[in-house]
Amino acid sequence: MKFPAFDYARPAGLDAALDLLAGEAAVLSGGQSLSPMMGFRVARPEKLVDISRLSALRGAALEPDGTLVIGAAVTHAMIEDGALPGPLGGFLARVAGGIAYRAIRNRGTIGGSLCQADPAADWPCVMSLLDAVLVLRRAGGERQVPVRAFLLGHLMTAIEPGELLTVIRIPPQPGARFGMAKSTRKLGEFAEGIAAACLTPGAARVTLGALEVPPATLAVDPALVTGPQPARLTSSPLYAAVDAALKAADATDPAGYRHHLAVLTGCRALIEAAQP
Amino acid sequence: MTDIAITINGTAWEGTVEPRLSLADLIRGELTLTGTHLGCEHGVCGACNVEVDGVPMRSCLMPAAAADGCAITTIEGQYGEMAERLRAAFTTHHALQCGFCTSGMMATALDILRRGLGRDEATIRRELAGNICRCTGYQGIVAAILHVAQETTP
Amino acid sequence: MDSHHDSNLSNSSQVGQPFTRLEDRRHLAGQGGFVADLRLPGIRDVAFLRSSMAHARLGPIAVPADAPAGAVWTAEAFHGLVKPIRAVLDRPAYRPSDQPVMAEGTVRHVGEIVAAVLADNRALAEDLAERLEPAYDPLPAITDPEQALLPESAPLHPGWADNVYMTMGRTTGDFDAMVARADVHVTRHLRMERVAAMPLETRGCVARFDRGSGVLTLWIATQRPHLIRTMLAEQLTGIEERDIRVIAPDVGGGFGGKSNLYPEEILLAAMAMRLPHPVRWIEDRWEHMVSASHSRQHVQTITAHATKEGELLAVDVRFLVDGGAYAMRTSTPAVEANMASSVLPGPYKFQAYRFEATTVATNKTPVGPFRGVGRPAAVFAMERIMEETAAAIGMDPVEFRLRNMIQPEEHPFTTISGLVYDSGDYPSLLTKAAQSIRAPGKGDAPANIAIGIGFGCYTEQTAHGAQEWHRRGSPFVYGFEAARVRIDPSGGVLVSTGIQSHGQGLETSLAQIAGDVLGVSYDRVRVVHGDTELCPYGMGTVASRSLVMAGGAVEGACQRLAAKIRRIAAHNLDCAADDVLLAGGEAQGPGGSIPLDAVARIAYLELQKLPLDVEPALDILYCYRPPVETGAYSSGVHAAKVAVDLDSGHVKILDFVVAEDCGRVINPLIVDGQIAGGVAQGIGQALLEEFQYDDQGQPTKVTLADYLVPGAPELVNVRIIHQETLSPFTVHGAKGLGEGGAIGPPAAVANAVSDALRQFGVDVRRVPIRPEDLWEALRP
Ligand SMILES: Cc1cc2nc3c(=O)[nH]c(=O)nc-3n(C[C@H](O)[C@H](O)[C@H](O)COP(=O)(O)OP(=O)(O)OC[C@H]3O[C@@H](n4cnc5c(N)ncnc54)[C@H](O)[C@@H]3O)c2cc1C
Ligand code: FES
Ligand code: FES
Repeated sequence: MKFPAFDYARPAGLDAALDLLAGEAAVLSGGQSLSPMMGFRVARPEKLVDISRLSALRGAALEPDGTLVIGAAVTHAMIEDGALPGPLGGFLARVAGGIAYRAIRNRGTIGGSLCQADPAADWPCVMSLLDAVLVLRRAGGERQVPVRAFLLGHLMTAIEPGELLTVIRIPPQPGARFGMAKSTRKLGEFAEGIAAACLTPGAARVTLGALEVPPATLAVDPALVTGPQPARLTSSPLYAAVDAALKAADATDPAGYRHHLAVLTGCRALIEAAQP
Repeated sequence: MTDIAITINGTAWEGTVEPRLSLADLIRGELTLTGTHLGCEHGVCGACNVEVDGVPMRSCLMPAAAADGCAITTIEGQYGEMAERLRAAFTTHHALQCGFCTSGMMATALDILRRGLGRDEATIRRELAGNICRCTGYQGIVAAILHVAQETTP
Repeated sequence: MDSHHDSNLSNSSQVGQPFTRLEDRRHLAGQGGFVADLRLPGIRDVAFLRSSMAHARLGPIAVPADAPAGAVWTAEAFHGLVKPIRAVLDRPAYRPSDQPVMAEGTVRHVGEIVAAVLADNRALAEDLAERLEPAYDPLPAITDPEQALLPESAPLHPGWADNVYMTMGRTTGDFDAMVARADVHVTRHLRMERVAAMPLETRGCVARFDRGSGVLTLWIATQRPHLIRTMLAEQLTGIEERDIRVIAPDVGGGFGGKSNLYPEEILLAAMAMRLPHPVRWIEDRWEHMVSASHSRQHVQTITAHATKEGELLAVDVRFLVDGGAYAMRTSTPAVEANMASSVLPGPYKFQAYRFEATTVATNKTPVGPFRGVGRPAAVFAMERIMEETAAAIGMDPVEFRLRNMIQPEEHPFTTISGLVYDSGDYPSLLTKAAQSIRAPGKGDAPANIAIGIGFGCYTEQTAHGAQEWHRRGSPFVYGFEAARVRIDPSGGVLVSTGIQSHGQGLETSLAQIAGDVLGVSYDRVRVVHGDTELCPYGMGTVASRSLVMAGGAVEGACQRLAAKIRRIAAHNLDCAADDVLLAGGEAQGPGGSIPLDAVARIAYLELQKLPLDVEPALDILYCYRPPVETGAYSSGVHAAKVAVDLDSGHVKILDFVVAEDCGRVINPLIVDGQIAGGVAQGIGQALLEEFQYDDQGQPTKVTLADYLVPGAPELVNVRIIHQETLSPFTVHGAKGLGEGGAIGPPAAVANAVSDALRQFGVDVRRVPIRPEDLWEALRP
């Protein structure tokens, strides 16, 4: 299992990278998704532009209004180790620490993960919850796309040839508390059920991933979340509410296990968010 | 073809590589450091873990060209005090059988110890999740890491 | 490691000591030498084009016009050079199927070799291989063993009337009478899915033909170099066995998966013989998933007939095994069902037994041996039904088992299926395991968690000799193991054996045995294995036999060598040979001693000091054939404690206890390691591992991200309790143990989950246990 032949370039700056991308090249970030696909020869880019060391994409900052800006080439491990400033840093560090394995996190990037758009992946789910906005640049242009418009389905995004995801912008989430739940058969493997939840005074929402469609964000009555829960979640009013909301979103086979896992992890994420 | 310059186990190396050559195949091939193994070539097993600029990475998923300018340490170059303690502990706790996973395990184990995560069994097990050992059931490996962590923390 | 031993060996003995392994140093330094590590000048790589179809007629293969001459090798290229593989079993009911070395006319499973491509490196070979265009004309695929038995499933092999490799059955005892006497009759339909040994190192082969000497050398990641050599000589034309050298270098795990004769090895050999340079094929993980042997895949129906007082009277079982597309050599697919039916009684005695064992062909990867062969499936069936029968009569499952176990004083005991057990104390193992796992109680669990405890009891035939292999109809009647022990003129000890060590630590265990007899420390002994040119003939490392058989051979060779050393020393010390003791690296007489190296020097280079009637040199070959050939039976009880998440259906192992008896323990460190490793594989089989196919016969799990093997977080420290009941039939009283660890877990875990869910009327019918199945069963 060897990679098919390709050309490789590692431009020194962002503009050079955008110029190269304008001419039919693919982006190589951490390569933790692209490389296996090339190994299986299901992806065969002719030219790779390695953006993993572009300093313009490797930083993170908190803007005065509280918007958190993360460079696309920031690795999962950097986030895990606390690279993100501001109130979201702790939650996102925990999310990052739950992705794959440390050796993968040392190379895999948040931008790569969003562009890969695996429905079971962590960042697409969490960034959908946070209403992140993605900055896509091309030679001579830039557009901003909300992540929910960016993620189109299984391994499908709204990115156009020649575009590079440079920055992820997360609006401030005042007073929010977060929770995350995953269900895997084996630790570190892609989730069979994944959910991230956000609780603000007066509102609760949960984003469910690992569906056939892009992550689905559902609003839930916060009163159901904050009250005491029965030991068997499946018989709780919360479960019934998330179940009903997911059924209404028409994203799953409502009788199937995947549907149930989505609802269950959704409830668990919400309950975690409600923990003091 | 791409020119690269790396440091391999402390020694500078320069050469020309085909872009599609993985770091693992460079290490095992031209550099003849066959202590790094390939168990899956798709990122799951961890047999190919090597240290790149001080942290473990999957050498099977990384084009050698992308390692240009990096310092790479393989099992053959792991000779710090911690590595030596780990070697001794791997033997005493029977942390290897066929030895195929061993070099990748050592890379991960060293990283666990350096990050101060070797103090309890549950954490060690979680951090080992990215390295498959088909022979030992991991218990000797877990014990060896725990042992070194206890030895080296006051 | 959490383990305790009841051993009464003296401290001066090396046998029984937890010595650290001699093989560790090279691996820890990155200096192991696996087949892929070999560097030979001029070597070129082979990639195989493998069938993407489960069943199809294979037409011509279109080769791109720019393909270099000699790069693409199709079946015609091998005409007259190789013969199809035929795995035979000397049983009238068995029907062999020829396994083509390269497909011609028909492909019968995804992954079957269609063409070989040779290039300067593997990447280039893959580039060309993917551009070849074979013409496939699809045929209906058989993807399930029950489907294979349907009349509308056309026979897969020419000349076959149906798809059955073998079916056999027998009734022993007065079955009908026992059924009539029984108060309860408990039946379960069970499935054990398809898994594979999945060593971390894939397969691989390097072949070089030396035109000058006419010697063909193959380096193969195999468990049995000598046997592969014998078979290669049969498969290849134009070369004799004498001129073939097979070397198994360091092998990265085998577990049975590397014990078969594979087409790739034959093809590489045939190619090397026609090429002026060496050739190499290193399997990738996808290839491994579709073309290295798979195992298990049972459909079972089992019924227990018992009295309400808890006496097991009769068992009725039907095994149906999916053998895959071809019969692999040597074990054949039939070994799985046949073995399961003969070992089913395990540690229990009952009055009547009826079984049927059927193995069928399907369009899936061929089935071969994997740690435990037949036993994990037999124990799964038997222990599930023991558990359910106990529940049906309202008896504690441990008490029910104890009531029906063979008692220690009944040995040698002949089971209802005809096996002769040598020794063992099963009730004591079960009692210890039960006490240990039950001691802390089930604990307080939150209401969404159900906790259960389950057992899997087994006996394991190990180190069986010629009589047993012959009884099974094996075309090769294995039954001995050889060791050559040499002491060089400087006193160093070199042991070479025909077995192969790929993780079992035999370089250490055998050194301990040799060290004891020769009175030297084990680390002065070098054990060489895996090279047909350097080592005496042997069967290789399969069937939990290596330590017992090779240990017997090393012991015998060393005893003979020791006698010779005593005579030489006595001659020079002026005492009687019987008064010479070998210890501390010396030959010690009553009035003085001679260092071993001095004795060695006499034997080789100072012949003036050698008695005339003693043959010079210290070099002995000894073949061990056990006096009793029915094998030594290890036994064990596995006990699992699990937590089932009632909301998600996920199962977590909380505790795992193994009480086991493998006779004399040569090296406890290694023994515990073998057990823990086997248990990990067994837990994988209980909870995670399975191949699946769609109805076109396409495998859906072909990466390690889909075929899940357990990682460290999915496992717990196995708590091991040793009991040493020495075998009267083996040299050290040792019994084999390589497989035991993998035998009990599917049963123990399935029983634990069933115990946890009994309150909901749910019991496990299938391994691996899938969360979705439990969730489905638990739904209101
Ligand atoms: C064994 C294993 C387990 C894993 N488990 C998980 C898991 O549990 N959860 C999880 O979320 N992920 C998991 N992953 C995936 C991992 O997180 C990857 O790092 C991530 O999906 C991709 O990031 P990358 O930087 O490696 O991207 P790459 O592999 O480099 O790129 C992925 C795709 O995105 C494109 N791309 C990358 N960056 C940009 C950019 N800035 N602009 C435009 N296009 C771009 C590439 O062209 C490519 O198509 C796992 C991976 C492996 C191998
Ligand atoms: S070989 Fe790199 S992870 Fe398996
Ligand atoms: S020792 Fe064999 S895979 Fe770990």
